[in-house]
Amino acid sequence: MKLRADALRDCMDGAVPGVLCTCSADGIPNVAQLSQVQYVDPDHVALSYQFFNHTRRNVLANPRVAMILVHPWTARQYRFSMEYLRTETSGPLFECMRAKLAGIASHTGMSGVFRLLGSDVYRVLEIEALPGESLPAPARDLCLLAALRACSEAFSACGDLAALLEAALDGLARHFDLHHAMVLLLDAAGDRLYTVASRGYEASGVGAEIPVGQGIIGVAAREGVPIRIGHMTSEYTYGRAIRETVGQGVLADRLETEIPLPGLAAPGSQLAVPIQGPAGPLGVLFMESPAELRFTYDDEDAAVVFASHLGTAIRLLQADAEVPDELLPSAEPSVAGGRPVVVRHYTENDSVFLDGEYLIKGVAGSILWALLRDHLALGRTDFTNRELRLDPRVRLPDVSDNLEARLVLLGRRLEERGACIRLQKTGRGRFRLQVGCPLELADGPGKVATPG
Amino acid sequence: MNPPAPLLDPELAAFLEGGVSINVGARDSHRIPTLARALGCRVSTDRTRVTVFLSRRQASPLLEAIADNGAVAIVFTEPHSHRAIQIKAADAREVPLDPGDAHRVEAYRQAFVTEVGRLGFPEPLIRALLAAPLEDLTAVAFTPDSAHLQTPGPQAGAPLAGAR
Repeated sequence: MKLRADALRDCMDGAVPGVLCTCSADGIPNVAQLSQVQYVDPDHVALSYQFFNHTRRNVLANPRVAMILVHPWTARQYRFSMEYLRTETSGPLFECMRAKLAGIASHTGMSGVFRLLGSDVYRVLEIEALPGESLPAPARDLCLLAALRACSEAFSACGDLAALLEAALDGLARHFDLHHAMVLLLDAAGDRLYTVASRGYEASGVGAEIPVGQGIIGVAAREGVPIRIGHMTSEYTYGRAIRETVGQGVLADRLETEIPLPGLAAPGSQLAVPIQGPAGPLGVLFMESPAELRFTYDDEDAAVVFASHLGTAIRLLQADAEVPDELLPSAEPSVAGGRPVVVRHYTENDSVFLDGEYLIKGVAGSILWALLRDHLALGRTDFTNRELRLDPRVRLPDVSDNLEARLVLLGRRLEERGACIRLQKTGRGRFRLQVGCPLELADGPGKVATPG
Repeated sequence: MNPPAPLLDPELAAFLEGGVSINVGARDSHRIPTLARALGCRVSTDRTRVTVFLSRRQASPLLEAIADNGAVAIVFTEPHSHRAIQIKAADAREVPLDPGDAHRVEAYRQAFVTEVGRLGFPEPLIRALLAAPLEDLTAVAFTPDSAHLQTPGPQAGAPLAGAR
């Protein structure tokens, strides 16, 4: 069978730099070492365009090039005959290469020197395996297909979103040997991602938000493309940058309403994969490892399939949760004693504080506020997803918003804070509010209103 | 009439003969490029001629292109520093090995293994990459027309000080 680029993707991960030969219009050859070769499809690869140099001038004048790549395990050399087609300066391929290049630059001490101006796309005309000595390729220590199969089976057995998210993070740890991961979902307004589950971090960071477009997670969501970095760089790490995006707006935003995004202090490799829905990403699956070059092209493929199954399961469960089981009569509200907890709500961003400590904001904040008001005024404890969706007090950004995910997020935050308020799932599309202490509700910064 | 001063100074000549990565490019009569990895380099004592060693089996399209028109470009890269020099010539041709060249190739392999060993590349991988049976070795000799700095960055492509 004719050699194709897809069989040689390991050669493109850059352990041994590739080399390119071009030729000017007047017949003078030029050789350049490549900083980045990106697989596009079996018949196309892309090279990074960083400087206007001989290579650039030559391919614009004469599109034929030759490239040698070396297999990082076997040492086999492959000579590619290729033809320059076009340069992309935005979009998924460009963003994916830009993120990777930043990692490569940082690893090789070339930060500030390497900057991607474009992704040059080449058609592969022929690939020749050069004669010579080679080493046997090592076998992988885990089978990606078997791991995927086990995870896919586990997803099918999950009856609700919380269980599904657990199964996903469990599966990554058990079957893929990946112990640091998180799932973020896209706010239906489309500008932010919120963390709904994580594994392998000191603090779960559930509720932490990232603007779309920021860092590798934000870029993966914006471009709908996996971003894989083998040598991590500060350019794409999180932390300070998130804080800087918080506006100096309303009072509630100036209070401490941030949940830090979890993350390894010194990641070696990261992979962010969009969780695709029918009309764009639903969210992002993010994985990282302290080891460099942990993720190969094959790992990326497996992660894309994993995220695709996860996305399908999320959508099925979401649709399911909107059709509640028959509502059971509310349990008698228990009368709790003890010191009252002050629940303060700020309308500007729906942030909620318990005894002055930040709990949650946004949609999940407005849900909690509505539940607590109904609980105190009407004595209600049992609720359905459907009534929340129709409730004008709950500011869902869009009909497609994943309400169940907001409830999972809210439930986790309450648990992590050790709050006397809990959410308990009581069936499909139904849940119960459990309140274990007296509450005083306060709207805005003023005095505590006397609760009902 | 005095012979022209050599393009290469002694420091640069030593760099080309050291444990650096060497890639040779050429092009055929249709200006279609080809390339091959070289297995070492020898600079003449007067520093006007450069010879690189190749595996004949790996470099056969390159040798055909050189036989056609003699135009070559060779990049010498030092992996740990990224220092890279590109030399161009118009008079390249395949030549027989000199006595002692087989030793030069073996010394080159050892120097390159040492150089990239510092970067974590295992010796067996590099030995396999640079392996070629003695009878498969050949050489290409040329007179450099130009030498350019190729280290990545805004200075890439600048003629070397002293270069014409």
